[in-house]
Amino acid sequence: MSARIGIALVFLLAPVAALAHAPFSGAGGFYGGLLHPWFVPAHLMAIVATAAVIAQQGSPWNWSMHWQAPTAFAIGLAAGFIAVAGAYAPELSGEAVLAVAAIAGLLTALARPLRAILVVAISAASGAAVALDSPPDVITLREAIVIQLGTFCGAILLMAAALEGASRLRRDWQRIGIRILGSWIAASAVLVLALQLAK
Amino acid sequence: MAVPAHAHTGSVAGGFVGGLEHPVFGPDHVVAMVAVGLWGAFLGPPAIYLLPVVFPLVMAFGGVLGILGVPLPGTEIGIAASAIVLGLMVATAARPPIWVAAVIVGAFAIFHGHSHGAELPPGADAIAFSAGFVIATGLLHLAGIAFGLLAHWPIGVIAVRTAGALITYAGLVFLSKLA
Repeated sequence: MSARIGIALVFLLAPVAALAHAPFSGAGGFYGGLLHPWFVPAHLMAIVATAAVIAQQGSPWNWSMHWQAPTAFAIGLAAGFIAVAGAYAPELSGEAVLAVAAIAGLLTALARPLRAILVVAISAASGAAVALDSPPDVITLREAIVIQLGTFCGAILLMAAALEGASRLRRDWQRIGIRILGSWIAASAVLVLALQLAK
Repeated sequence: MAVPAHAHTGSVAGGFVGGLEHPVFGPDHVVAMVAVGLWGAFLGPPAIYLLPVVFPLVMAFGGVLGILGVPLPGTEIGIAASAIVLGLMVATAARPPIWVAAVIVGAFAIFHGHSHGAELPPGADAIAFSAGFVIATGLLHLAGIAFGLLAHWPIGVIAVRTAGALITYAGLVFLSKLA
């Protein structure tokens, strides 16, 4: 019994690695990072809207688009984390995430065919913005790397899930639902962006 | 003991619920949102989805004006007028070109957005709040669309047009209270 209490105390008193805006109280380390993109509304909106834009650009078998854009997202994410690891801390990272969400949401609502380069650029910008807005709030390099690895995995999983889900929605009413979701994301992002810039 | 920072912790759910409640507890907003859905359903495709897409986007533009403190004369009158005009469109079974319907709905969306924009709470939960109230607005549209789909049957047309007349009456009541 005392051994269990001892172990519990070790975990309670151990330094808990965290992100600047942790999704849950007590969520830290790899799992805190993993959950971060799923539970921080701005990140969730940006990634889901980006996935919707990619999914609207053709069938699930449009391999070039469905691999290039998510790869660009992953590269943007990695580049952002490398920049954060290099102590680069942009002041307007939160606003950048909202701007990406607004643009991707608007493009989703419009549902127009887009040039592949534009979709790739939006995907890369989405990944980079999410990474730059997820700086680990810890001191040691090891903890920071573990959290960033978790956030990287969480963002990739969210992108994959949203892309897979949106790609399967092919019926007319389902496509309309995606467009309405895009308009909601764009509206929410624009409002909060204006609120933050007005401060 | 190192304590994690939690700038967003706990406030996200509260902000989201607050945002969901915001349009629902404003009867003038509720009737206008339902009227948009009713009219969209009455007009059929593409209005049935175009109007609920146009409204939140233009509403966000109005919200930005409100947040930035840009004055919009007659905001409350515009909101009351939206209920009167949109209700009248449904009651009279008006079928203008789709772009005219989108312009009418979009014009009134600016008033609704301006009204909401000034009340967005600053702070970490602003995103959840705005997402909540945009979703609530969309759900009110969907409620109107669901009711408006009754127009597929002759008796349903009477019910939908009566609802439009009631919305117009509600708008007149809101307007009389402003006088």
